[in-house]
Amino acid sequence: MKILIIEDEPELAKSIESYLSGQGYSCELAVNYQQAIEKVSVYHYDCILLDLMLPGGNGMDVLNELKLQNKEDGVIIISAKNAVDDKIQGLKLGADDYLSKPFHLSELSARLFSVIRRRNFANSNIIQQGNLKIDLLAKTVDVGGNAVMLTKKELDLLLFFIGNKNRVISKNALAEHLSGDLADMLDNHDFIYAHIKNLKRKLTDAGYGNFLKTLYGNGYRWEG
Amino acid sequence: MIKLLDKPLKAFTTYALIVLLCSIPVYFIIIDTIWVHEIHERNQIVAAAVKRNLVDLNLDEDRMKSAMALWNSMQPETRIYEVNEYKADSTYNIYRKNRYMVDKGYDRFEGLVTYFKINEKPYSLTVEANVEESYETMIAITAITSMFFIILLVGFIKLNKRISKDLWKPFYQTLAQIKAFDLSSHKNISFEHSQISEFEELNSSINKLIDSNVAVFRQQKEFTENASHELQTPLAIVQSKLDLLLQDPSVSSVQSLIIEETNHALSRVARINKNLLLLAKIENQQFLEKQSVDMSNLIQRILDLFGDLFREKTIQFKINAACVVEGNIILIEVMLTNLLMNALRYTATDSKVFISLSGNEIEVSNAGTYALDKKKMFKRFSAASNHTPGSGLGLSIVREICNRYGWDVRYDYITSMHVFKVTFSTYQKRL
Repeated sequence: MKILIIEDEPELAKSIESYLSGQGYSCELAVNYQQAIEKVSVYHYDCILLDLMLPGGNGMDVLNELKLQNKEDGVIIISAKNAVDDKIQGLKLGADDYLSKPFHLSELSARLFSVIRRRNFANSNIIQQGNLKIDLLAKTVDVGGNAVMLTKKELDLLLFFIGNKNRVISKNALAEHLSGDLADMLDNHDFIYAHIKNLKRKLTDAGYGNFLKTLYGNGYRWEG
Repeated sequence: MIKLLDKPLKAFTTYALIVLLCSIPVYFIIIDTIWVHEIHERNQIVAAAVKRNLVDLNLDEDRMKSAMALWNSMQPETRIYEVNEYKADSTYNIYRKNRYMVDKGYDRFEGLVTYFKINEKPYSLTVEANVEESYETMIAITAITSMFFIILLVGFIKLNKRISKDLWKPFYQTLAQIKAFDLSSHKNISFEHSQISEFEELNSSINKLIDSNVAVFRQQKEFTENASHELQTPLAIVQSKLDLLLQDPSVSSVQSLIIEETNHALSRVARINKNLLLLAKIENQQFLEKQSVDMSNLIQRILDLFGDLFREKTIQFKINAACVVEGNIILIEVMLTNLLMNALRYTATDSKVFISLSGNEIEVSNAGTYALDKKKMFKRFSAASNHTPGSGLGLSIVREICNRYGWDVRYDYITSMHVFKVTFSTYQKRL
């Protein structure tokens, strides 16, 4: 899977690259508008991570360029502006998602996973891991043919883990993912335990082994 | 506080009162002196005439005696007596009861005692006339003075009103404009031209002051927005580095805990930054699109999310009447989220938060142990209690959103409950 990271802040770009490489993605970097345009014109990427404020131009114009060239690359906007207008405009211009800075790399990875799945497996989007099968279109999960009834939150959580396979996910990232913007206003993040506990129990009951590891009580890792 | 124009009015009135009060004894002394002087003159004239006529009659002693008796019984104002010696003239001024009209009380008399000789025999002649009593004069003068004082007073007040209306009109207009001026409203102020140089000067000085204030305010807002933007990227870097650090297999459990705690603090910084940016955007007149928002639907949606986050707390939502509000859906959602989040965060475990929605207002209440500082709570970064740290901006944002739409938000502490109430009606009426 090829990813283009268009981000002028080298440290952030490096972090993203490092995290995603660990996930098995191959990443390329573009640090300004000119580079970005050159790369998107020449190559095809499974997903482009696009910062809107770029030296030499506006990230929105990269979207326009993609549209002009009929490119089908997935795009996730990562912006510091967090402006609703930008979000709406970006999505209208063909971006798949919008993530405002600052964000957890695990959140980015989960979204990236979801965008690529949606783009590449439009007709039958099924994730298979061992005897666990997730149908993303029907939103059903089964283990060895036995349907597992998951709540919306639990399915969300499962996909988040799968999108960050073998990576350590902080409790904070999970809380922010599940609560939207509200996590930092909460005094504790205990609410995520209930979801994780239920998810684990349902999968174990259905015969799926314990793939979710708890690390020091502060993080989780989905192994597979 | 007293009004500017009332101050000279008070001074003028006091001065007029003093002058008029002083004038009462002066008038009295003058009038009384004139009275007495005139009566004295009249007495002298009468005495001179009587004396002269008696002398001219050339009466002998016997006839004089009978004439005297007749005279004294007929003329009460003048009396003639035989005396032993001839003396210089003298006067007296007395109060006594009228012999014939006793009920009338005391009368005042000015008398003249003069002496004359007939046939070398000395006689005294007393001429008396009724003078206006002093206290009556005093009463009359006081009454007239009071009347004039009242006339003056009424005149002053009327004049004052007229002067204030005309002369001070530009001043009061300016004052009203300054009062109505809102720094954050983006509306400029323009004063009417005045013919009076002081007012013109005042207006131009105020204009200068306002202009510089507006400029500073704008700069500050731009600064907030820019600073928040600039902070997002370094925050994102720190966040990403922490996420990477966590991937390191050599991270110990202690280090992992530190990372998690750092994450927690970092997300608070991010939240503050986001809220500052949001405030700046609201102030900078963004979020302009409007739509009709059904409050009960929106609240239900927020509650669905909250129910998951606050399992141990109960939210009781009561809809008394449907409520549809005109506004930006994002802002309204932010407002409701902040109000509810605020109530939930400060509610003890196993206790309830009440939401009640009626036609034009929403009330969010939760149990509390003491009243919070009303003045401070809506201000930025002034947590009304040091309980648990929030972003310090949640309620400022609520107030800012309410200000935008002309809604009223208030806090009250009623029967051990914190009650936040947003009233939409003021806005609806204006529509």
